[in-house]
Amino acid sequence: MAATLVSRKTDWTGIIFAAVLTLVIVFPLVVVGTWAFTNVWRYPSVIPQEFGLRFWNQTLARADVWSSISTSLTLAFTVTALSAAICLPAAYAFARLDFPGRNLLFFSFLAGHAFPKFGLLVAIAGIFLQLNLIGTFWGVVLIQLVGTLLFMIWIPVAAFQAVDRRMEEAARDVGASPFRVFWSITLPQAGPTIAAAILLSFVGTFYETEGAWLIGAPQVRTLPVLMISFINNQPVIQYGAVLSVLLWVPSFIALLFARKVVNSGSFARGFGG
Amino acid sequence: MTIANTGPLAPVATHRRRPYGLLLVATPVLLVAWLVIWPIISAVIQTAFVTTADGGSAVSLETYSFFFSDGYSLSNLSMTLWTTGVCAALLLVVCLPIALYLRFSDSKVAAYVQGLAIFPMFVPSIILSFAFIRVLGPNGTVDLLLNSVGLPHIRSPYLTPWGPVIGLVWDNIPLTVLILLSGLGNVSNQSVEAARDVGAGKFALLWHIILPRISNSILVAISFAVLGIFSAFTLPYILGPAAPEMMGPFMQRTFRELLESKTAITQAVVTFGFCIVFGLFYVRSVAKNRAA
Repeated sequence: MAATLVSRKTDWTGIIFAAVLTLVIVFPLVVVGTWAFTNVWRYPSVIPQEFGLRFWNQTLARADVWSSISTSLTLAFTVTALSAAICLPAAYAFARLDFPGRNLLFFSFLAGHAFPKFGLLVAIAGIFLQLNLIGTFWGVVLIQLVGTLLFMIWIPVAAFQAVDRRMEEAARDVGASPFRVFWSITLPQAGPTIAAAILLSFVGTFYETEGAWLIGAPQVRTLPVLMISFINNQPVIQYGAVLSVLLWVPSFIALLFARKVVNSGSFARGFGG
Repeated sequence: MTIANTGPLAPVATHRRRPYGLLLVATPVLLVAWLVIWPIISAVIQTAFVTTADGGSAVSLETYSFFFSDGYSLSNLSMTLWTTGVCAALLLVVCLPIALYLRFSDSKVAAYVQGLAIFPMFVPSIILSFAFIRVLGPNGTVDLLLNSVGLPHIRSPYLTPWGPVIGLVWDNIPLTVLILLSGLGNVSNQSVEAARDVGAGKFALLWHIILPRISNSILVAISFAVLGIFSAFTLPYILGPAAPEMMGPFMQRTFRELLESKTAITQAVVTFGFCIVFGLFYVRSVAKNRAA
C-alpha cells in the first residue's frame, strides 16, 4: 500500500496496541481458564498451589448443570429450526418474487433495532403477561425467535441474490422443473452463506441471556441463566470457571467458521458502518 | 420481458409478479408486527391511559409524572445517562486510534491487533462478567500481583458504577472498531498523500482530511453503542452497584420482583424516548447501506 502513516521499520505503534490489547482482552480469559484447571488456589499465591481436573468431575456431576445444558440446546435447536423454516422461504420470496409492499416489508425487520433492546423485551413481556407465557418454554422460544429474524432474512436474501441466474435459466431451458432447479442449482450456490446465517443464529440463541432471564427464569434455566446464579450465589470459584469454559465451546466453533465473514467489509456495512 | 423497478431490492422480472410472495413472507412479517410493533404501541397506550370511575378511559400521564418525580427512578435514569455517556466517549477514545492504525498500517502486527480487537465479539458477556470479577474483583488477579510486589490492594471497580463501564466498553470494542474501519475505507490514500505533500502534520491530517470523511461512521458507531448500552442488562446487573442501578436491571426488578408491570413498561417507554433519535438515525443508516 502506498500510504502508510506508520513507518515500515519497526511498528512500535502496533507493538504497543498489541501488548495493551493482549493484556486487556486475552489475560482475563486466561485467568478464567487457569481457574477451571485448578484444584487449590489460595490467596495470596500468585500461581495455583495445585492444578487438576477435580472440579470438572464435580461440576459435571451436578444435576442443574446437565438440565441447563439440555434446556439451552433444546431451545437453540427449536428456535433455529423454526427460524429457518419461516425465514428461508421468506428470504427466497424477497430475493426472487415481486409482490405488493415488498420493500416496506423487507425493511420492517429493522423496526426492533430502532429501540433499546431490553426496553423492547419489557414491552413484549407486558404482552406475554396477559397471555400467561411468562416462565414458559414457548415464551422464551418466541422472544428468542424474534431476535433471529433480521439476520435469518437479510443474509439469505443476499445469498439468493448472488446466485447466477443464467445457470438457473439454462436448467429451465433443458426442461428441469422449478423444484429441481432450486434443489440442484440455487441451493448449492446459496448454501454456504445460508449455513453461516443458521450457525450465527444458533450461537446467538445459545448465548441469549436477557430474554431468557426476563421471560424464562427461574422456571426455564438456560446455561447463561445458571451462570448468573453461580456468579451471584456460588462461593466455589471453580464451578463458574468450568462452566465458563463449557459455555465458550459454541462461540469457539463460531469463531472458527465466522471469522472470515466478520472481517469482511460487508459485515460492518450490515451494521450501518 | 420488462424489469420492474422496485427500489432498494434488486429488480425481478415482472412476469413473476404474483402476490403469492406475500404468503411466503407472511409468517415472519406477522411475527414482527405482533412481537415488535404491537408491544411498542401497546406500551405507549397502556401507560398513557387510565380507567376512569365510570369504566371509560382517559388520557393520563400519571405513571410518567410518578417516574419523573420519584427520586430513586431519577437517580437510576441519571446513572444510566452517565454510564452511556462515559462509555460512548471511552469507546471513541479507545477505538478511533485502533481503527486509524489498522487502516494505515500493513505490518504483520496489524493482523494480530485486528484479531484481538474483534475477539470480544466471540466472548459472551456472561463469561466476560465472570472474568472481570476474577481479575478486578476483591482478591482478584490484580490484587494478587500487587500484593506479590508489596503494593496495597486496588479499590475494586466491581459493584461500583465503573464496573459496568469497563465491561460495556470491552464488549462494544469489536463493532465500534469494525464500523469506524469501514468508514475509514472511504478515505482515499491519494487524499492523505496529497495533504502530506503540502506539509500537513499528523494532527492536521486527522482533523481536516480524515475526521470530516468518517463523521457519519462515528455517528453510526455512537448510535449503535448508545442503543446497546442504555438498556444493557447482564453486565450492569452483575457488575454494577445495587442502588442506584441502570435502567436494564431496574426494569427487570420492577417487572419480575415487584410485579409492577405497568411501572416497568413506563420505564421502558422512557428508555425509548431517550434513545429514539439514535435509533432512527441508526436504522436509517443501515437501511441506506442495504439499499445501496
